[in-house]
Amino acid sequence: MGAVLAMMKYTRLIILGLALTGVTACGPMAKNNTFSQLGGALLGLGKGAAEAPAPAASITREQVVSEPGKYIRVFTRNLDRWDTNVQSGSNGNRSTWVDSASVSITFENGIVVATRGLVRDLMAADVSEVSAAIRSGGGEARRRHEFLTNMDRISTELLQCRIVSQGAETIERLKTKQNTTRFEEKCASEGLQFTNVYWVNGAGHIIRSLQAISPQAGYLQIDMF
Amino acid sequence: MPKSNRLMSSVAAMSVTIASGATGQDLTATYSHFGTPGLLEMPTAQGAPEDSFAATIAYTDGLARVTLNFQASQRLSLSYRYANVDLYEDPPSSGTDSDIERGFDLQYRLNNETEYLPAVAIGLRDFLTPGRFQSEYVVASKSIGDNLIVTAGLGWGALGTRDGFDNPLGSGLTDRDGYDGSDPDGQLASSDWFRGDAAFFGGVEYQINDRWGAKLEYSSSEYPEVAGGVAVPVESPFNYGLTYRPRPGIQLGLSYLYGSQIGISGSFTLDPNERASGSGLEKAPPPVKVRAADARAAQSWDRQALPDAALRNALRGLLKLENLTLTGLELTDRTARVRYINNRYRSDAQAAGRAARMMTQIMPPSIETFILESERRGIPVSAISIARSDLEQLENRAGGTEAIRQRSGFGDAGGSDGLVSLERESSPFAWGLGPYFRINPFTGDGSVNVDLGLRLQGVYRIQPNLVLSGAIDQSLLPPDDDPTGTERTPDIQNVRSDGSRYGNDGVPVLQRLSLTHYSRPGQDLYGRVSVGYLERMFGGVSGELLWKPVESRFGLGLELSQVAQRDSDMRFGFDEYDYDVTTGHLSAYYDLGNGYHTQLDVGRYLAGDWGATLSVDREFDNGWVIGAYVTQTDMSYDDFGSGSYNKGVSISIPQDYFTGSASRGSYSNTFRTRVGDGGARLSVDGRLYDVIRGGHKADLSDTWGRFWR
Repeated sequence: MGAVLAMMKYTRLIILGLALTGVTACGPMAKNNTFSQLGGALLGLGKGAAEAPAPAASITREQVVSEPGKYIRVFTRNLDRWDTNVQSGSNGNRSTWVDSASVSITFENGIVVATRGLVRDLMAADVSEVSAAIRSGGGEARRRHEFLTNMDRISTELLQCRIVSQGAETIERLKTKQNTTRFEEKCASEGLQFTNVYWVNGAGHIIRSLQAISPQAGYLQIDMF
Repeated sequence: MPKSNRLMSSVAAMSVTIASGATGQDLTATYSHFGTPGLLEMPTAQGAPEDSFAATIAYTDGLARVTLNFQASQRLSLSYRYANVDLYEDPPSSGTDSDIERGFDLQYRLNNETEYLPAVAIGLRDFLTPGRFQSEYVVASKSIGDNLIVTAGLGWGALGTRDGFDNPLGSGLTDRDGYDGSDPDGQLASSDWFRGDAAFFGGVEYQINDRWGAKLEYSSSEYPEVAGGVAVPVESPFNYGLTYRPRPGIQLGLSYLYGSQIGISGSFTLDPNERASGSGLEKAPPPVKVRAADARAAQSWDRQALPDAALRNALRGLLKLENLTLTGLELTDRTARVRYINNRYRSDAQAAGRAARMMTQIMPPSIETFILESERRGIPVSAISIARSDLEQLENRAGGTEAIRQRSGFGDAGGSDGLVSLERESSPFAWGLGPYFRINPFTGDGSVNVDLGLRLQGVYRIQPNLVLSGAIDQSLLPPDDDPTGTERTPDIQNVRSDGSRYGNDGVPVLQRLSLTHYSRPGQDLYGRVSVGYLERMFGGVSGELLWKPVESRFGLGLELSQVAQRDSDMRFGFDEYDYDVTTGHLSAYYDLGNGYHTQLDVGRYLAGDWGATLSVDREFDNGWVIGAYVTQTDMSYDDFGSGSYNKGVSISIPQDYFTGSASRGSYSNTFRTRVGDGGARLSVDGRLYDVIRGGHKADLSDTWGRFWR
């Protein structure tokens, strides 16, 4: 009987608890406690701020085509989401592009070396051998990828990769056809394996690619114009 | 069909996956009614995944159990349990009475299962007095194929009550005293361990598919009808159960127990190492803005063209985007020293990384050194010195996280000379209304005092380091008063045992109202003075001095307080008890590394007793804290109250674990055993070590992986 009374009390407590969590905490202190996302652009405020504001989600295809080099299009497979990125910074031979949701991707010669804002970011990477292998029409390459673990540590994957040319392929996008060479890159380490695909135009630029970020963040399809 | 989809389809045909190299894990162990990996009431030798944490609620008529289980290492599991249980009166024929029992379990796996050998574990269940379920066991478990696990074991104590036989460990171990009502609570009854009769138990668990499983066990617990024993009528040694795991982290159970009863259970597991949001979902930071090579060589900048005031305002705006508040800035030709408050990031290292990147956007090119001083409660707690060219060079580079840590300097914050303070932009007053939840210490009458209600709190920052703060609570479920009013320890002031009488009138009460001043009396020194209604039961003056070098793992603090006991109506008076006391502690803090922190407090407690408290916390780098503490004072066991010594466990889980959004908040609670009046410490808000340590090198290093996030 005592146990039944106790259970009744627990039940009362749980119902009350559920009701209370429904109470919207209010006031500045309560808001501090629950993190409110900043609205609006991340960049572009203050004198001399980062080079470009986050793009509006509604950039037209015509804009993308008519201003080559200004936009890239990114499809995040895991989120089933297309977005248009604009350049937000550059550092040596690397450039960073940010989308309307403030997710950024950093490239070195068209190859992803970092992301920020995905569920498991690629924090840093060394991919110089991959670029060299693509330039020479295929070959072996080593990659070094760094991730941020759930325990806020950096974990490193040393990947061994093989890049193979799969011949010419004409791709069509935004009503234009482009002649490319398709390359496939298979990479493996103790903890990771993935396959990237690159479409390289006559000038040697990667104009389309499918690149792995991390097991949780999945693949990104990237179109550069 | 939109163009974008067609574009997608050209590559979608490829079957590409990213495989993680981790080997496939078998289904993890299920939890028993005792809340540990096991069958129904019998243990197995299995363990949960390392570091995982499980809460189990199990109910059958007359026996409700809530257990928190923590897999402390791959082999060691620790459990803490509340049971609401019917017990036989003395004599048993006079009926039963329900009582709240607390218990601790411990299990250690001696070896892992191999192809031929079973896993073997040794365990202690409910090992502190009175220990109604007190038992010891050795158990072996072996899997056969992928879905079947067979378990057999030998139990003593409560696990040796069915068909017990002479103790196989030796004829000198036949006597077991068992439950004795006169024993003080909370003692190690080690003189009984592995003594008395032993008995066999065993069972099988079959995993039907990923979600459903079945269990059958032969129980060696008979729950004999003796005074003080658990009043469960047992008609059969066989227990049967079904488990259902609808999704990872949740296990529901339905069982038929003792040949007569239906039981239900639910287990909810959280693993600090598994975070649904991965490494966090914060928006991308702006990239480092790199200086041109010639600009980098400049030795000074043109203050006419770029006045200090303009830079201050611009930087303030940029830091605000990261929810960092700029409070001070010093600019020289080659150095920028910023002082800021981190309002968002759990990791101060991440806040520093964000602040540094914002500085690269606007600082004149000749400025090569950034000094980042994190401010808490109006005082600077540390300085990180970073070379701007390192930021430019190491961004997104493999090895860049560790390299920037190695190359940066960590030290005490500088003084206020040269620093231009910024006018406060936000209102010095802030308020909030939200729910609160509190588990009152057990006061000895066996009732669970849980309090739930609304809290209105306000803060007025007279100066950044001089804060008036208060909270008013309206309880919606006032704690039960102890109607019997039994004075268990008449010689000792009721500094905690009257806790359930406080604020139980159902009207709004003053939770606290105090004025607190923080200061930096010298190098590596921190000071605090608090005056007012410091906590629910005491008010007065409390002063603290802490010595803690930024780069050291060791800190030393002294706290002295002169306090008086508040009236139980929790208004402004101090008349009801007419009790005041000088209390204080000398505290040593040490960060052992690998996530273990210890603290030793030696001094005088609220009831005037002298003694020490030792606490050990396991802190995960992602912010989880699981801790345990124990207090022993010179107060005699008789006077100390039924807890004998004060002990408990605490759990704190950061909000960003669940949300993935950066946040400095956390959910925490302390689960104590019965709290007597001995070993009771003043519960004053804003103790220095917790305020400042996040900015110090050991803590910064723990989450340094987030610097570039």
